[in-house]
Amino acid sequence: MRRYRQFQLVAATVLALSSASYAEESARTPQAPESPVSIVGLTVEPVEIVLHAASRQQQLLVTAKRADGKLFDVTRQAEIKLDGDAIAKLSGTTLVGQRDGLAVLTVSAGGQSVQKEVRVLGFDRYPPVHFALDIVPVLSKLGCNSGGCHGKASGQNGFKLSVFGFDPVADYDAIVKQARGRRVFPSSPIRSLILAKPSGGVPHGGGVRLARDSLDYQLFAEWVDQGMPVGDESAARLTGLRVSPQERELAPGGQQQILATALYSDGSQRDVSSAALYSGNAPQVAEVDARGLIRCGQAPGEAAVTVNYMGQVAAVQVQSPRTGGPSPYPELPVQNEIDSLVWAKLRKMGLVPSELADDAAFLRRSTLDCLGTLPTPSEVRAFLADTTIDKRAKWIDRLLARDEYADYWTLKWADILLVDREKLGERGAFELHRWLRQQFAANRPYDQWVRELITAAGDSSKSGPVNFYRAADTPDALARSVSQAFLGVRVECAQCHHHPFEKWSQEDYYSFAGFFNGLERKPIAKDRMLVFHAGYREMPIPDSSVKVSARGLDAPVSPRLTAADPRVVLAEWMTSPDNPWFARLVVNRLWKHYLGRGLVEAEDDLRSTNPPTNPVLLDDLARRLVESKFDLKAVMRLIMNSRTYQLSSRHTENNHDDEQNFSSYNVKRLPAEPLLDAISSVTGVPELFPGRPSGTPAIALWDNRLPSYFLEIFGRPERTSPCECARSSDPTMTQVLHLMNAPEVEAKVAHPSGKVAGLIESGATEEQIVEELCLAAIGRYPTPQHKAAARSLFASSSPREAAEDFLWTLLNSYDFLFIK
Amino acid sequence: MSPAYCDGIDRRAFLRVGSLAGLSLAEILRLQSARAADPPARPAPPKKDINCIFVFLIGGMAHQDLWDPKPDSPAEIRGDFSPIKTAVPGLFVSDILPHVSGVTDSLAILRGLTHGDPDHTAGYHVMMTGAHPGFGGSFNRNKHDNNVHPSLGSMVAKVGGGNGSLPPYISVPNFLNSGGPAFLGASCAPFVIESDPASPEFSVRDIVLPEGVASDRSVRRQQALREVNRLEREAERISKTVQSADIFQEKAYNLMTSQRAKEAFDITRESEATRQAYGMTSLGQCCLLGRRLVEAGCRFVSVENGHWDTHRKNTMSLRELLVPSLDRGLAALVTDLKQRGLFDSTLVVVTTEFGRTPRINQMAGRDHWPQAFSIVMAGAGLKAGHVIGATDSQAAYVTDRPVTPPDMAATVLKILGIDPEIVVQTPAGRPVQLAGGGKPVFELF
Repeated sequence: MRRYRQFQLVAATVLALSSASYAEESARTPQAPESPVSIVGLTVEPVEIVLHAASRQQQLLVTAKRADGKLFDVTRQAEIKLDGDAIAKLSGTTLVGQRDGLAVLTVSAGGQSVQKEVRVLGFDRYPPVHFALDIVPVLSKLGCNSGGCHGKASGQNGFKLSVFGFDPVADYDAIVKQARGRRVFPSSPIRSLILAKPSGGVPHGGGVRLARDSLDYQLFAEWVDQGMPVGDESAARLTGLRVSPQERELAPGGQQQILATALYSDGSQRDVSSAALYSGNAPQVAEVDARGLIRCGQAPGEAAVTVNYMGQVAAVQVQSPRTGGPSPYPELPVQNEIDSLVWAKLRKMGLVPSELADDAAFLRRSTLDCLGTLPTPSEVRAFLADTTIDKRAKWIDRLLARDEYADYWTLKWADILLVDREKLGERGAFELHRWLRQQFAANRPYDQWVRELITAAGDSSKSGPVNFYRAADTPDALARSVSQAFLGVRVECAQCHHHPFEKWSQEDYYSFAGFFNGLERKPIAKDRMLVFHAGYREMPIPDSSVKVSARGLDAPVSPRLTAADPRVVLAEWMTSPDNPWFARLVVNRLWKHYLGRGLVEAEDDLRSTNPPTNPVLLDDLARRLVESKFDLKAVMRLIMNSRTYQLSSRHTENNHDDEQNFSSYNVKRLPAEPLLDAISSVTGVPELFPGRPSGTPAIALWDNRLPSYFLEIFGRPERTSPCECARSSDPTMTQVLHLMNAPEVEAKVAHPSGKVAGLIESGATEEQIVEELCLAAIGRYPTPQHKAAARSLFASSSPREAAEDFLWTLLNSYDFLFIK
Repeated sequence: MSPAYCDGIDRRAFLRVGSLAGLSLAEILRLQSARAADPPARPAPPKKDINCIFVFLIGGMAHQDLWDPKPDSPAEIRGDFSPIKTAVPGLFVSDILPHVSGVTDSLAILRGLTHGDPDHTAGYHVMMTGAHPGFGGSFNRNKHDNNVHPSLGSMVAKVGGGNGSLPPYISVPNFLNSGGPAFLGASCAPFVIESDPASPEFSVRDIVLPEGVASDRSVRRQQALREVNRLEREAERISKTVQSADIFQEKAYNLMTSQRAKEAFDITRESEATRQAYGMTSLGQCCLLGRRLVEAGCRFVSVENGHWDTHRKNTMSLRELLVPSLDRGLAALVTDLKQRGLFDSTLVVVTTEFGRTPRINQMAGRDHWPQAFSIVMAGAGLKAGHVIGATDSQAAYVTDRPVTPPDMAATVLKILGIDPEIVVQTPAGRPVQLAGGGKPVFELF
């Protein structure tokens, strides 16, 4: 069946060519698409090809080496020949054993040729099937035990499997014993529901998933025929997963097959390339299919593909640099160490950063990012008029010294720490907010205030941080929110099953939760609580007889656990300079806050299978934080002073589709509270919040439940999930309609003592009005577009009305709504 | 411009779905291939856009006192109402549904709804979304964040797309707590009317120009806005963030300026006779507004109606305060949709979080009962004039054809031309089926 194609190797980058847009691009590259690439070497993996009873097929991986040393995958382009179909067959690029014997495989590409011996052993009879080692992986691969199907807590149509097969004993029971045993039918295996349903013989809600001519079907049938063995208890255990390649540079549109090999305790191996589960972390760069074939798109960047086989996890990293970038690569100006590390990455990716943002963009951006507050017209004028060289650095110092800094960063952390009035009560939310604000106002070292928070005890009406223990109030909930808020480890997946993309097990989860086991909350009065740790005890794992000792992730059990409040041990482990997550997470949060995208995305999901786009930079920032004794302002100062932060948001032709590498500034919408404050300051009419003094800015509110239609529709989070993603910055039509038409906004625009009224009363000219409003709203002098728009407005109506219309226009313009 | 393909996803929606958070391209491809493998027994997807009016009666509608009467049971169980004959011989409903009794030949009554959770918040969530919210047991907890799975309306907004200048998902008169988009993101949130069409002051928030801004002035403002945004719009490499805002500005402007949209919201354009036929109640006028909105192209209108939690004075509450508005509103809606030729392209659902206890309590009320309850579906070319499912002699347990909330969700999605088995990723990366794994109620097709 297989078509053996005459292989004429052309430029590697063209092999996978499929889109017309690529053809244009490649035409600009020095290599013309038709010119053959000279191949200097060809390798075929695996090194030894042995098909045996437990590993009946073998994916091939053929890699060519170019003269310049670059490697590329030619698995699907190479000519693959096998002498004698009787021993083994080729199915696509996979060898399938037929019967015992020896065969010779010849692989040729680009004039190179490799021969390999294929050994087939133990095919004379089907070996005993092992349920956990053989059957469960197929249930995973077919998706039977996924969270959306039979793996969900309630199962599916009365058939429930453990999610991702973490509990083979229960799965065996479900298949063999439940439903009165009708799922298996040993006297006629193929009539078993376990075969008939997924292969389409009997209607199946999940559709046809198992082809009748597949090895998996044969395996299921053999297993039933053998009388559904559990499997030999002394059988070799799965101990590891090896992937090849681990890292590879791909051309735009390029492909790469992954070879996944399971390793067992007896030294044996199995090809699991078609049985492993694959998922990528950057679909805009590369996607991976169920066979482990990675396909790059046209956007430059990096992607990590997680390979999971029965809880064993490995990652394949691919880079797809921009081709046809400038040559030679330009010399780039460096403002500080951040730039060197960012530029190094950009250079590697063939990307060139955008221009430096102009002064007006920098001023507005830095003020909004750092303080959640607009620069005033006089600040804009003064800054633009300032001709000193270091005016940006000086401005950054001034920003970091201002009062709004504490307001704004308290708001941000109150989101992460779930300072929710509904849950904490008025007093509790107020106290925790006040305490947080004190920490930021004093720029208290991050590790110090986190230690105080984690070990907090006492009366909730007197101690702010104690209230943290009311937001999450069980060991489970605390394990989730503490690990996510301060370590960026989403350990909660491991509450019920082994984490699908990580090494965390249920034992890790309950060991972590164990620090909070014994934490007591005694109500003293309404809205008041005494929180204290009643003493350490071991943590039971539910539905088991196992109890575990409290310990940090990957950390040993401390001998001091029982000496005092075990949370002291937790706090010290967490905030230690050696903790691999603590400093990295917070610098990643800061980076995301200022640059609009984390070095790791999502910003609080740090794991080996979700690597940073610039690991050197993340490590460097974390090291600097530790060296500065956890001075958050020092890191912010460094970030804001970098040229990387100060780049224009305008893309170039070269970097327009770069989403990962910070080659230009990421535009973001003003968050809800800063936006409301901005409207108040631009219109000159403060927002009145019930029970708060006039002039209280929205960024300084401690009560997240104050009724405000505006804040609600612009995405103020409810503070019920420790994920920063709860703060929505998605646009909605309701927002747009509100800004355009709301009587509340119009009342501010046309307020008798507002900005426009004041300008008109002062006798300001059209030019003066337009300039003042532009400076206030968008932080820059009017452009020709603004002047033209104003001119037609002023020509059509009274100055007052025209000025109001112009202000309305500014408030709805992208220059106002976005930080650019 | 973008007809729905046989896979149920129209191309525009496909692009949008692919580009926003939630479904990756790979997910889409996977679900398309999953669909290709569906058993052929499934009915073909509808050819034409079907829209939905989804009436949610908050508090828990007493199933035995409306749709599933048990006249032969003891007085403390059967209550104070009697069954009456209806347009369908042999089909009885309660005597507090006189108007509805005349249109039962157009309804499908599902008497076998069941789920195990007697908590309002969980029941509300599971019946709005098809998925249990998953938070544990405490009864009636004041849970504001009651939206962990996307509501049906948000799923429609995400996958089914819009139609014309109206938003695809509108909620009236208030936001339904569990009616949000959950992890599908704010672009799938309902457009909330936040105003009661039964009120003389009814108007839709922010779609009309503010006082003091005449329409010629608004035109000048919009022209000025286009001028100052021009550079951004024309820039080839406009930021994706700005791009989506631009889409909404365009949509908002269409909505504000669309005569059709404005007319759709303007319930006063209905004749007095029509308004009276629906009843001048919140529920009645919301049904009427719902009809106007789906007529103008809205895909999913959810109607919120409260106070059905009849722990006390059940008989009086139902007879005098609650059921008359439902009785008139539902009957009028069915009749009106038929007269306008919209009945076959509109799905009407009357639903609630659960039923009420078989036995009347000491306060002459009924308490929460999730083991068995009834909902009603109509229109959309469904088989009508019949009852699906049955309960025992006390309306306590389902004896025939149980229907779970995921089944209900799958049914609604299927009718609206959306594959209920579409898999989406939660923020934690967990794949879940849109309809929580339910199966459409095939007896309806």
